[in-house]
Amino acid sequence: MRSALWVVGILILWEALAQLKAESVLFTGPSAIAVYLYDHASLLTRAAVATTKNAAWGFFWGILSALLLASFAMLLPRLERALSSISLLIFCLPLVATGPILRVLYGPGAGPQITLAAMAVSYTTYLALLVGLRAIPQSWSDLITIYGRGAWIMLLRIRAPASLPYLFVGLQIAAPAAFLGAMIGEFTGAERGLGVLTLRAMRGLDVDATYALAMLAATIAMLAYGLVGWIARRTLGYAPVILLTPPNDHKPRSLGRQLLGLAALTLSVLLIWQVSMDAFGLNRFFAKRPVDVLNYLIQPEARATLCAALLETLSMTVPGYLAGLLLGAGLAALLMLVPAWSRGIMPVAVALRAVPIITTAPLIVLALGRGATGTITIIAVMIFFPTLIACLQGLRQTPGQIVDVFNSYGAGRFRLLMTAQIPSMLPAFFASARMAVPAALLAVTTTEWLATGKGIGVLMALTASTSNYNMLWSCVVLLSVAAVAGYAFIAVIERLVLSVYATEQVR
Amino acid sequence: MTAENEAAKSKADDIRCLNIAKRFGDLETVASMSLSFAARQTTALVGPSGCGKSTLLRMVAGLEQPSEGSITIGEETPAELAKRGGIAMAFQDASLLPWRSVRANVALGASLARKPAGRVDDLIELVGLDGFANVRPGALSGGMRQRAAIARALVSAPDVLLLDEPFAAVDAITRAHLNTQLPKLWNETTTILVTHAVIEAVLLSDRVIVLSERPARIVADIPITLEGLRDDAIQRTDAFKSLCDSVITALEEGS
Repeated sequence: MRSALWVVGILILWEALAQLKAESVLFTGPSAIAVYLYDHASLLTRAAVATTKNAAWGFFWGILSALLLASFAMLLPRLERALSSISLLIFCLPLVATGPILRVLYGPGAGPQITLAAMAVSYTTYLALLVGLRAIPQSWSDLITIYGRGAWIMLLRIRAPASLPYLFVGLQIAAPAAFLGAMIGEFTGAERGLGVLTLRAMRGLDVDATYALAMLAATIAMLAYGLVGWIARRTLGYAPVILLTPPNDHKPRSLGRQLLGLAALTLSVLLIWQVSMDAFGLNRFFAKRPVDVLNYLIQPEARATLCAALLETLSMTVPGYLAGLLLGAGLAALLMLVPAWSRGIMPVAVALRAVPIITTAPLIVLALGRGATGTITIIAVMIFFPTLIACLQGLRQTPGQIVDVFNSYGAGRFRLLMTAQIPSMLPAFFASARMAVPAALLAVTTTEWLATGKGIGVLMALTASTSNYNMLWSCVVLLSVAAVAGYAFIAVIERLVLSVYATEQVR
Repeated sequence: MTAENEAAKSKADDIRCLNIAKRFGDLETVASMSLSFAARQTTALVGPSGCGKSTLLRMVAGLEQPSEGSITIGEETPAELAKRGGIAMAFQDASLLPWRSVRANVALGASLARKPAGRVDDLIELVGLDGFANVRPGALSGGMRQRAAIARALVSAPDVLLLDEPFAAVDAITRAHLNTQLPKLWNETTTILVTHAVIEAVLLSDRVIVLSERPARIVADIPITLEGLRDDAIQRTDAFKSLCDSVITALEEGS
C-alpha cells in the first residue's frame, strides 16, 4: 500500500517536472509516454512479442547449456577448472562485437538474438548451479558414501534437489539478462523487436518513443524477474535468499603449475576457436582464425588504433566501475545504520536490479549528454543495483549470535557495522565485484556504440559495418582478455582479503 | 561352508581394527591402536570432545581411510561391506534431506542400501513418529528429527550400525525416553555408539571404551554387566552407579 503511494507520488512529481520543462527536447512526462504507448499499441505489442520470444528461446538454451556444463563439472571434477574458465571467457566476449559476427554467420533471422540471450544467461546460471550443487553438508555426502554409492547417485539424490533454490536464484537473475541479450542482438540489425525500435527512436531523437520503449522493456524484464521468483516460492515453499559466492574448494597450486594451467587453457581455447571454424567450413573473410588476428596485430598502426580505443574505453570503465561498486556497498552499509530507510529502498532496488540497464541507457544519455558523465553514470548504474542487493544480503549474513554479543555490551550500530557486519559482507561484495567486470565492459561498449561514438565500442561497430573483420576480431580478443584479466585481478584481491576476514571461504 | 552358514556368519562378524592410526597433516588424531568390536554387541566410545572418537567411527564406516593399519569386518573392508548396503550411520545433526517427507527420508535408507522398503512404516511407528510420516523435517522438533534419522539408519537392517552422538541435540526428557525405547531395535546388530554422556554409554551398551584426549588411545575397556531390563529403575541401582564411577575415573585419567 505504502509503495503504491510512493509510485503515485513519483509519477505526479515527474509529470509536474515535465510540464515545467515542456519546451525541453530531452525530457518527457508520464502522460506523453502513455499517449505514445496508446497510439503505437499494435506496433509495440508486435515488437515486444518478438523480443520476448527470442529472449525466452535464449533463456531456454542458456539454461540447458548451464545444466549440462554443471553436471559435467560434478561428474568429472578434473574438468571443472577448464569448464569454468572457458564459460567465463564466453561470458566475457563483448556482445557488441559478437552480435555483428553472429549476424554475418546466421544471416537474417532470430539466430543472433537468441544466441546472445543464451550467452547472457548461461554463465550466471552455471555459477549459481555450481555453488548449489557443491553447497551440501558433509553428512549428506557421507550418507551416500556410507551405503557404498557413487557420484551419480549423489548428483541425482542429493546435489540436484539441494541445488534447486540456487538454480531459482540464478534463473531469476537470468530472466532479465536474457531480455537484455535479445535486445542487443536486435541492435545488430533484426527485422523487428524492441531493440530495433529503440535504435530507431534514438537516431530520430524521438524522446517520447525512447522513454516509452525503455519503460516497456524495463516492465517486461521486471515481470520476468517477478514471475521466476513467484514460481520459485510456489515450488520451494519459501523465498530463497542465497549468495552467489562462487565455490572455491580448489587446492592451492604453486605459481609454476598455475602458469602451466593458464598456458594449457589458452592453447585449448585457441584450438577450439580454430577447429570449430574449420569444422563448419566458415569463410575466412569474416570468420578469422587465431593466426589472422596475430598477423593483423603485428602491424604497428593496427596496434596503435586498438590501444588508443582501449585506453579511451578503460578511462570510462574504471571510474564507472569503482563508483558503482563503492556507492552500492556504501548505501548498503548506510542502510544498516538507518534500518528504517531500508524498508522503503529495498523493494525499489530489487525491482531496478531486474531492469536491463542498457535499455535505459538512451534515457541517461538524453539526460546527461553524450560526454564522459553520461557514460560513467551508465556503467555505475549498471553495477550499482546488483552490488547493493548482494551487499545487503551479505550484511544480513552476520550470525545472529554475534549481533547479540554486540548488543549485550551495548555497542552502537556503527561499531557493529565496522567490526562484525562489514567483514560478513566481504564475500558477497567480492562475488559481485567480480561479476561486475564483464557487466561494466558490456555497459561501456554498448554506450559508446549507441551514443558517444568513442572508444572500442564504436571501433567494433564501425569495423563491423565496413567489413574490417581483422580489426573486429582483434577487438573481441582484446576485450575478452581485458575482462578475464580484470576478473582474475579481483579474484586475487578477494583471496588476499578473505584469507584474513573469512577463512572458511578460502581453502 | 553352506550358503546358510555364510549368511549367518555375515550377520555376526566382529569388527577388527589392527594397529590403526589417523593423522590429518601433522595433527595426530588417533594414536596407533588395535581393538575389536564384538558382533551383535553395542559398544560405546566415550572420551573428551575433539579426542578423535568420531574419527574412529568414520574409519569403521569407510568414510576415512586409516593412515596406518587396517580395518576388517569379517573378511571384508568397510568399503566392501558398504557396497552391499551392510553399514548404516546416524549423524550428530540428523542430516535429513529438507525437501523429503519423513517417510521419504526413511525410505531413502532402504533404497540407497538396495534393500526392500517394506519396514518403512513399521519403523516410523516404532520411533514414535506415526502421524508425521508426510511431514517435512523443517516442521519437526530436534528430537523427532533424530528419531527419523535413527529409523533411516535401521530401515536397511544393517550388519553394522554406527551412531555418532545421535541424541546430542535432544532435550533430557526425550533423551531418557529414547534411551529406553530405541536399543530394543538394534539388539541383534553390531552397534558402535559415540557419546560423551556417561550415563547414556552405560545404559545403552554392553561395553564402554574410554578414550584419552587427542591423540586418542584406549584408557579403559569396561564390560557392562547389568542384570535385568535397562530402564529408568536400573539407573538407581548401585551396580549402575559404580559402573558410571569407573567410566568417570577412567575419563579423568585420560585427560
